Amino acid sequence: MAGTKQSPATASQNPLLSLWKAYNDQTPDRLKFIDAFLFFLMLSGIIQFAYCVLVTTYPYNAFLSGFGSTVGQFVLAASLRSQVNPQNREEFKNVSPERAFADFALGSIVLHFFVYNFLG
Amino acid sequence: MFSIRRWCLLALSVASLLCADAKSSTGDSVLVVVDPKNQDQYSTFFEGLKDGGYDLTFRSPKAEGPVVIEDDAPNFAHVILLAPEARNLGKDITPQSIVQLLSRKTNVIVALPTKQSPLHSLAAEFSLILPPPNTPLISYFPKRDTPSTLIPIKIEDHSSPALTKHIEPVWFSGIPASLGSNPLLVPILRAPSESFASETTVTSGSADAVADSVERGGEGLWAGSSLSLVTGFQATNGARITFVGGAEIFSDELAQKETERHRQSGNAAFSREVAAWTFQENLVLRIDKVEHHPVNATEPNEQYTNNDQVVFSTYISKWNPTKGKWEPYSGLKDLQLEFTMLDPFIRTSLPPVRGAPGKYSTSFRAPDRHGVFKFVVDYKRKGWTSLESSTTVPVVPPRHDGYPRFLSAAWPYYTGAISTSVAFFLFSTIWLAGEVNERKRSKGSKAE
Repeated sequence: MAGTKQSPATASQNPLLSLWKAYNDQTPDRLKFIDAFLFFLMLSGIIQFAYCVLVTTYPYNAFLSGFGSTVGQFVLAASLRSQVNPQNREEFKNVSPERAFADFALGSIVLHFFVYNFLG
Repeated sequence: MFSIRRWCLLALSVASLLCADAKSSTGDSVLVVVDPKNQDQYSTFFEGLKDGGYDLTFRSPKAEGPVVIEDDAPNFAHVILLAPEARNLGKDITPQSIVQLLSRKTNVIVALPTKQSPLHSLAAEFSLILPPPNTPLISYFPKRDTPSTLIPIKIEDHSSPALTKHIEPVWFSGIPASLGSNPLLVPILRAPSESFASETTVTSGSADAVADSVERGGEGLWAGSSLSLVTGFQATNGARITFVGGAEIFSDELAQKETERHRQSGNAAFSREVAAWTFQENLVLRIDKVEHHPVNATEPNEQYTNNDQVVFSTYISKWNPTKGKWEPYSGLKDLQLEFTMLDPFIRTSLPPVRGAPGKYSTSFRAPDRHGVFKFVVDYKRKGWTSLESSTTVPVVPPRHDGYPRFLSAAWPYYTGAISTSVAFFLFSTIWLAGEVNERKRSKGSKAE
């Protein structure tokens, strides 16, 4: 991405840059916010997995709960994203954004409850 | 109750005082089966035993009594069978009854005959392979004026674990035995390397005679220092039996006979040493008690947890024949402890503790494996009493709250879980705040 920024002249030809531009222009702020959250969760999951593979699996339950919390949270956030996406309004007619968020919050709280029980 | 116990203790101590001159660790009554005609021949040997505190009872091989086993209990602590010429040794002394004696912890010395006798089959039971009948040991070296079957044998110090003193050369006359691979055998006196077993006919010692006896024996050449003349055997229960190739080694004649350089032979001392080992005076050990407890504690645990540090101690005594009592013994350098569940999971040395006589102690980490384990001390050395001890103890995994918490290795995972929660919380807050803002904005736009 740093490379594409350095050569704005060829930007229109670069598909990645055009994709990024289209995303920036067409995605509502709320979805961008969810995407940032998803990106953070993905990073956290990757780091934990790399640590587990490269360093130690020793408290395996801790790895499972730490990794599981990022994956679970990712899934919940992704479903929230699809439910609040204006483009999917047709599909989730009877799910209001508030309801979607309430589902997400409840699911997350239950998930974290399990995670902390298993983390020990 | 308490006073009864005290009286018992007093009686015991009085009893131990009374028999303080008994030197054997198992008792001082000895039955000697010997032909009354020959009894005087062995007077030096018998006097030596009497001086040692033994109580000798003589019995002719033809006599009916006193019997060795009565009502399934042995009548004597030790038995000497010194009548090799007798065709049989009495109704109650058979190879079977001798094995029974051993299993009832009676020690036995057997003098083997040159002729065929029931004792040959007894020796075979103890992995002693005897040469064919009438083939005594012969040696023509060193040059001497005695018959070739009467052989002087030098004894190196420490050549056998059973011999604890320096002993002058001894005279031997009798048969050798080839030894099987039984680990319980303790060879006491080896044949000289120039000697061999052969018939004592006119052609005695000729090459043909040797070859003949080899063929008839079918066990290989009966020659050389691999043959054993006096052989001990220690049963797994501690009882000892010694096979002597010829009764003459105990006789007065050979005890007084001079060996080369006009020195008296070592037969008397050797006989005494053989009796001392066989009658469990020497090299007798016992385990007094074993202890185990966690490090930094004194009481034993009912069960241990994986990876606990465990201390195991044992107290070992050795019989002191001169004082006639058990004394703490710290001289074992190669004692080992095993912590086993079918297989030893841990095998470690059990060194003596400085400043604590007779105590051997070590500490180790219980394996990371749960199950029913045993502390095993298993000490078997040639000539010594075998020491065996086994203590069963369960090793369990930690309780649910016994695991270590907040391990440094797990901090990335903890951080991951906590940061996810924090991120979720922040996300929800900002999301809800944004909703309120939007609503306000939309309301504001409507109002406009």
